[in-house]
Amino acid sequence: MVAVEWVESEVLKAVPEALVEVIDLHGSGDHFHVRIITESFEGMRPLQRQRMVLAVMKHHIPSPIHALDLKCMTPKQAETAGDTAFDPHGGGRGIHINRINRQKRE
Amino acid sequence: MDWTEQELQAIVDEHALVLFMKGTPNEPQCGFSNRAAQVLQQLGEPFAAVNILTDPRAIPSVCNWADFPTMPQVFVHGELIGGSDIALEMLQDGSLREMFDTGRDSN
Repeated sequence: MVAVEWVESEVLKAVPEALVEVIDLHGSGDHFHVRIITESFEGMRPLQRQRMVLAVMKHHIPSPIHALDLKCMTPKQAETAGDTAFDPHGGGRGIHINRINRQKRE
Repeated sequence: MDWTEQELQAIVDEHALVLFMKGTPNEPQCGFSNRAAQVLQQLGEPFAAVNILTDPRAIPSVCNWADFPTMPQVFVHGELIGGSDIALEMLQDGSLREMFDTGRDSN
């Protein structure tokens, strides 16, 4: 079990300039949705973006991180992205991301 | 099936769409695998689903071969596109359809 702050710091090792939002999907500290927003993703295909992040995160899979749902976006894409994270055990329901509060904190 | 690199390569060479998943499309054993199967069903093209829970050797073999640490994994014309998050993104922005159609024309 790991904390969202730890996941965020690990992701930032891979993508230092990014805005990183981590959601612990079940409060169990092992299923995470991570939204990563940075200009440096511009011009990269989705898999290339994830490989950048996974270069660090793969060392933490499958333990302590069991599930990692990644959304790698440019700031432009983030403007139009929805606020719902996929929950693999949610029976098709998503989890709302409270991004407005998050941005106020920063 | 011994999950060798040759066997895995043969699967993605043979089928235009391949999904390595936990369980089957009808009985997925993981929400992410279910989401990936639904994406491919929505694309509306036939796909080969490989259940990697049938053999304990499968997950490490596929992950090493593909150099990708998580399941499910989606292959289009032999190329890994990623997991269910990317598959859904590419379905929604049309690039999955485009990649499928382009590869079909050139093959």
